[in-house]
Amino acid sequence: MQRTAWPSWLFFLAQLALSLGFSDLEPGPGGVAAQSSGDRFKIEGRAIVHGVKLQDWISTARVLVEGEEHVGFLRTDGSFAVNDIPSGSYVVEIASPTYRFEPVRVDITSKGKMRARLVNYIKTSEVVRQPYPLQMKSTGPHSFFVKRETWGWTDFLMNPMVMMMVLPLLIIVLLPKVVNTNDPEMRREMEQSMNMLNPNHELPDVSEFMTKLFSKGSGKSGSGSKGGKSGAVKRR
Amino acid sequence: MAIFISWFVYFFLLFRFSFAVFEDQVGKFDWRQQYIGKVRFAYFDTQSQASKKLLLATEQNVVASLNSRTGDLFWRQVDKTGPEGQIDTLLFHGQDAVVIAGNGRLLRSWESNIGGLNWEMVLDTGSFQAAALIGVQDVVKYVAVLKKAAISLHYLSSGHQKWVENLPDSDTIQYQSVYSAGGTEVLVLGVVPHSHLTIIAFNIEDGEIMDQRSVDAPWLSSLQPSCAVVGPGSLVCVDAVTASLYVLSLNKEDRAAMQQITLQALGLEVAPGFQPTVLSTQPNPARPASSQWFLQLDLDHYILLQLTGGLISPLRDFKPAFLVSFATSGEKTVAAVLAPKNETSCSVSLFSADSGRRLLDTTVIVHLDPNGGMPEKLYVQAFLKKDDSVGYRVLVQTEDHTLTFLQQPGRVVWSREEALADVVTMEMVDLPLTGTQAELEGEFGKKADGLLHMVLKRLSSQLILLQAWLGHLWKLFYDARKPRSLVKNEVTIETLARDEFNLQKMMVMVTASGKLFGIDSKSGTVLWKHYLRNVQANAAFKLMVQRTTAHFPHPPQCTLLIKDKETGLTNLHVFNPIFGKKSHISPPVLARPVLQTLLLPLMDQDYSKVLLLIDSEYKVTAFPSTKNVLQQLQETASSIFFFLVDSSQGRLSGFRLRKDLSTELIWEVVIPPEVQRIVAVKGKRANEHVHSQGRVMGDRSVLYKYLNPNLLAVVTESTDTHQERSFVGVFLIDGVTGRIIHEAVQRKARGPIHLIHSENWVVYVYWNAKFRRNEFSVLELFEGMELYNSTVFSSLDRPHLPQVLQQSYIFPSSIRTMEATLTEKGITSRHLLVGLPSGAVLSLPKMFLDPRRPEVVSEQSREENLIPYAPEMPIRTEWYINYNQSVSRVRGIYTAPSGLESTCLVVAYGLDIYQTRVYPSKQFDVLKDDYDYVLISSVLFGLFFATMISKRLAQVKLLNRAWR
Repeated sequence: MQRTAWPSWLFFLAQLALSLGFSDLEPGPGGVAAQSSGDRFKIEGRAIVHGVKLQDWISTARVLVEGEEHVGFLRTDGSFAVNDIPSGSYVVEIASPTYRFEPVRVDITSKGKMRARLVNYIKTSEVVRQPYPLQMKSTGPHSFFVKRETWGWTDFLMNPMVMMMVLPLLIIVLLPKVVNTNDPEMRREMEQSMNMLNPNHELPDVSEFMTKLFSKGSGKSGSGSKGGKSGAVKRR
Repeated sequence: MAIFISWFVYFFLLFRFSFAVFEDQVGKFDWRQQYIGKVRFAYFDTQSQASKKLLLATEQNVVASLNSRTGDLFWRQVDKTGPEGQIDTLLFHGQDAVVIAGNGRLLRSWESNIGGLNWEMVLDTGSFQAAALIGVQDVVKYVAVLKKAAISLHYLSSGHQKWVENLPDSDTIQYQSVYSAGGTEVLVLGVVPHSHLTIIAFNIEDGEIMDQRSVDAPWLSSLQPSCAVVGPGSLVCVDAVTASLYVLSLNKEDRAAMQQITLQALGLEVAPGFQPTVLSTQPNPARPASSQWFLQLDLDHYILLQLTGGLISPLRDFKPAFLVSFATSGEKTVAAVLAPKNETSCSVSLFSADSGRRLLDTTVIVHLDPNGGMPEKLYVQAFLKKDDSVGYRVLVQTEDHTLTFLQQPGRVVWSREEALADVVTMEMVDLPLTGTQAELEGEFGKKADGLLHMVLKRLSSQLILLQAWLGHLWKLFYDARKPRSLVKNEVTIETLARDEFNLQKMMVMVTASGKLFGIDSKSGTVLWKHYLRNVQANAAFKLMVQRTTAHFPHPPQCTLLIKDKETGLTNLHVFNPIFGKKSHISPPVLARPVLQTLLLPLMDQDYSKVLLLIDSEYKVTAFPSTKNVLQQLQETASSIFFFLVDSSQGRLSGFRLRKDLSTELIWEVVIPPEVQRIVAVKGKRANEHVHSQGRVMGDRSVLYKYLNPNLLAVVTESTDTHQERSFVGVFLIDGVTGRIIHEAVQRKARGPIHLIHSENWVVYVYWNAKFRRNEFSVLELFEGMELYNSTVFSSLDRPHLPQVLQQSYIFPSSIRTMEATLTEKGITSRHLLVGLPSGAVLSLPKMFLDPRRPEVVSEQSREENLIPYAPEMPIRTEWYINYNQSVSRVRGIYTAPSGLESTCLVVAYGLDIYQTRVYPSKQFDVLKDDYDYVLISSVLFGLFFATMISKRLAQVKLLNRAWR
């Protein structure tokens, strides 16, 4: 976002002097309607869709200037010219049912000077220059459809809830078996290490320990990652 | 950070709740039909025998290419509406279709194969007169455009102007025709009415005037349609007053005056009062016109004549004949004549143009639809068969804008109902119940007559149901064995029946041409059509459903109000919306113009709603006007109010009905018309339901909606259009008391204004002249935290004015039309359906247009699911309900509830018609169509077996423990 904003600002500063010269065009098409006897101009440009043959899309596309106030059509080479436009400021867009184009604002002075800039409905006076004659490059096909939610095993297994339920289950089931198969020496070692971990000299009751563990476990699965984190911290 | 997270949550929420189409749903319950409008010019592609192209230009400013084998569109280009886009002429040569549009302003050449523009030229101003293709040495190279004061020649390949020349004395001479025989000159023919004829020859190469002469013709008022160029260089004119033909040689050397030949000498006679016309043909623009031509002497009387060496000889007389047309294939020119055969059909026959002989086996029978119109235009495509005989196909256009394409010996290849390109209004009517369903219904309707009888009746009806069900099962089984492509559910009127959820309805469409259509909403098949012959071109229509299908055995009944805009006189057409038949009920004859209509919820004994018509003397006519109805009206007269709008005077007035069906004025609001004019007045829809009385706030209190059913939204526009001083005003007026509930002014704004008024809100769109953008504004009315009278709303007893909240948003596109979704009970959240100029129909959640959207997010607003305020409204292509099926020039969107609360039926009409269903809150009351039956059943079975196994294991374990 930041990166795209920078050059536009630079452009704006560079165009400041020029835009003062354009200030006489501020009356929109409404003001112009009265003076329709004045000169008429044409907006020219070219529409490009990469990787698609022209004849596949130009017959369904149209050039719309300010809604349907003026209509233009695409030539067989992809260029277009919308004729008979009085001076003013217009939003030019290419309406195609399949391909998406960004609209461009074109300002025409009463003397016929042309300028193209980005459409910004919020800051209407901001000038971010666009090339003129217009170069309308398609940004790809329209996305009309939403993908259906499909169901797969991986989605199920990678679900954090499931992960949280499965891992303690594994620990509960597997850990006693691991301990049981080991010899008594190992067991003693484990107990010692447990003692090391618990700096409190009083060894807690086994049942109490279990209930604590279970209550923590349920809290974990219920309250999400937060509970899980705090539990881990406490255990340490 | 917290704000960011909340934003993210809202975004996610929106994404979840917003509507979108899934890719596999394409075409499942939606359809689109594309139209082009009434045809003005049509050309067949005669370049090659195999070509299927048919080029058309229409009154709707559309240039299109049709597949002549199927009637489908190859491509279509839609220009602006109105005179600026109007197509003056269409010329076709080779691959190029040359169009002159906008009264001679634009000259375009279309590449007819792909539908792209070859070139476009702006011509000088001046009203368009004529255009012609100009050939030089057998090659067509130029287009000549004749305007009022100038003629210009353009290259056909690039559109560049070769030369332009001013026409001499253009203020007195009306130049009307341009002709070239393929030589070195272009002839321009002009006329000074009732004085003389002027002929100017221009050099094709440099536009120099080579010859100019005038010929006395005091009888001539206009070249079109009484004159035509015939043969190598003769102008033939016909005049009714002197009953003569005039022949003038156009050759430079030949300076003779016009040669007069009386019709009597040829044994012909003009029908009294008829303006005779001359019809000639020029098969190839680089060659002279053919020397055979038609002379029309009466509406159904044509004569084929020949001009050779200054002598006119009749070849054949055609009477009766409705239409004639020339066609050329290779070197052969034939004449096709459409003649009436009997009451219901016409026949087209081919005649050799050279001799007037009838060609054998060339008759095509055209069946006329008794509910359609008479043939109006005839276009013929002739082709040479292998045995060198001439075959042909005809395109017949009838008065009701139907195009029918026929092949020998009368097979209809396709037909298009082009009247549907101009739908004015529509309604959706429920389909009737099937016979079995009706049987069950009838059981409840009748009075009890004996216990045993009723038991028997019930048993028989149950048996019938069982039989129907078995039949249905058998059909399913039978169809399942056939390959899918063969199973085609043909929809006919007989098989129409309401489905379980009432999703399939009858669309009754009224078109500007006066043709009515009944269309099945599921498939888009036209089930009936009815052409009203005596409808004026500028008539206004209003369609009302007086009786729905719910009152079996009474047939449903629709009433169409047809109002002539000039005289204001109105007549009613009463018909059955399911079958399209005109009802035998005779509607009242209205002698005075009708100002307002009112469909009351009152019903007569036959369950048809009462329609009140208020005429220009403020007298009320009731329809139906039986004794029962009049009695009911007398009882309820004091509570029937209506309003009238006079936009020219800026006056809104409210009336109350008196017992004797006269009216009294009770209120009047005048909006000064010199400052602002009324552009729209909208009440609420009568069939709208509001489920919840209020909105639950974040702190669990309730904000009650102000649900005034009598509220009118009045929108005005300033007469001053200067962008600094223009404004848009909105008034909310109670239609019963005339009380102004609210007033809002949008400064520096102007139209076009679109308005929706529903529930407790009004949404309107205007153009912000200062910032040059479209803006949405929403008004919401609330009673407050307490409801004054929660049981019933009365306009006369509401002391407190509502609280009005308003918010505005930027909409990044212009708008063509707007409508709100509608559901059965009003539980489902509302969406706005917005028709965009690009042809898309956007489904915009009403959530976005909520004046309570907060600028600063608080805990409470989050609780209420309010979206934080953002000035710009988003447009997402996922919200387009018609994906890539764009609807050209969408003029109206019609919404109707279905039997399912979640589902709203939508029809968008304009040049095209698009029908679909929308689910504003997703399908919460039916299983989704992607519901995973396999998963749910496998999980169920899995759980079942798991419990069985674990039960068994537990038993074993218990046993083992017991043994221990």
